[in-house]
Amino acid sequence: MAIIVNLDVMMAKRKISSGDLAEKVGITPANLSILKNQKAKAVRFSTLNDICKALDCQPGDILEYQED
Amino acid sequence: MESKYNNKIIKWSKVATIFFILLVVFADAVGWTSARYICNVWARRDDQLAYTIFTIVYYAVTVLAYVVLISVYKLLANMSKDVVFDTKNTKLMSYIVFSLIGAGVAFAVLGLVWGESAFLALVAWFMALIVLSVKVVFDKAIVMKNDLDLTI
Repeated sequence: MAIIVNLDVMMAKRKISSGDLAEKVGITPANLSILKNQKAKAVRFSTLNDICKALDCQPGDILEYQED
Repeated sequence: MESKYNNKIIKWSKVATIFFILLVVFADAVGWTSARYICNVWARRDDQLAYTIFTIVYYAVTVLAYVVLISVYKLLANMSKDVVFDTKNTKLMSYIVFSLIGAGVAFAVLGLVWGESAFLALVAWFMALIVLSVKVVFDKAIVMKNDLDLTI
């Protein structure tokens, strides 16, 4: 996958745990783990919106395109 | 309400499957006599070659019938456990398809001594085609379900 999810970097910057972020965003810790471990096949705009709101960042801070 | 209705259908389908399994067991038990009866009365053949082919095809088809019926029973059991779009089910459907194709081949061989059995071969292959179509739909649904499960 050429899209990299840098969620753990942003979480470290904001000093927020997975459990807290999952609770703030309203997703299960298991789903957050899927997202962090690059296993997700798609992200809903609503989820991205909630993550950006919780981490006070832009989508580009979480998602990055890398050539294969 | 809908779930209750579906459970009832699954329950009765399982009962019907067990009934058919028992019928095949009975068919196996009287196989020797019924193969000869079909050979003599239906096919109007009285020679040893026809009788041998009838007996071999008869028992081969009952073995394939066991595979089909047990696969159907397992499929229904999975459905009742809410395991629907799963590779386990498509594997069972593959067994059913291969068994039906095998039964069709057996009936086609029987066509050498009893022409009418070609119709049975066509029915078996047509059923295999239907199950294969359902299997393809299930395969697509499994891919879609996996994508949906990994959409956050």
